[in-house]
Amino acid sequence: MNSQTRDACLGLLLPVPLLLIPGGVAVFIAYDKGISFAPLLMFAGTVTWGGLFWLAPFMSGKIGKPKKKVSFDERDLLIHKRAVMAAYVVLWLYFVAACMIPWCIVGPHGSVSVNIMPLALLGGLIVFTLAQGLATLVQYGRGGNDGQG
Amino acid sequence: MAKDDIQNQIRRLRFDHGEMTQQQLADKAGVTRQTIIAIEAGKYAPSLPLAFRIAAAFSVPLEDVFQYHANGQPPKADGKTGDPKLNRPASAHKRGT
Repeated sequence: MNSQTRDACLGLLLPVPLLLIPGGVAVFIAYDKGISFAPLLMFAGTVTWGGLFWLAPFMSGKIGKPKKKVSFDERDLLIHKRAVMAAYVVLWLYFVAACMIPWCIVGPHGSVSVNIMPLALLGGLIVFTLAQGLATLVQYGRGGNDGQG
Repeated sequence: MAKDDIQNQIRRLRFDHGEMTQQQLADKAGVTRQTIIAIEAGKYAPSLPLAFRIAAAFSVPLEDVFQYHANGQPPKADGKTGDPKLNRPASAHKRGT
């Protein structure tokens, strides 16, 4: 498992704590204290929590010893580009669904809470991370089977 | 759409060069071992600079490492590919015929 595969696995596992921890806090605040901006807190918590996660590889790269071996090459870059492209396609589909589903549910003259908007952004972040991690793992699984040298 | 196939002789060349390991070749070419594995298995077509670096690691011409087969056809005895467009003389290319 190289560093890119490890990052992709992290990307698949990351949304779980991203969703559960700030989500749990937001739901607690919303139901216990009755604060209406709980989804905004949830989004802020997610960004903070996710930011700390993404700092980890950067910090390890700064603190750890410089590696002599090549760990990222043209194939990794190609896989990363394809994964990001796939994630953007999924993100677009997600936002189309996020816009159309409330319209289908409440009808053309209905109304929805503005709390849906930060939640939609949060969902987009999670969907993007999931899709990118999955696309990366699928590509490495197809073309990066380990062999014996 | 025509299916193009790029075959390579990396495995044979590695063993011809003192049983060079994939890691040693990767270090010489400046890529990861996973990339060498993928190229050797025919799952990844390298860029032109990387193909030249791999050929340089074996000190052989590029065509000794990689062979292009158009439409999945095997190469002919004279070294020509199965694609007639690629077998035209250079003068024909210049004329645009």
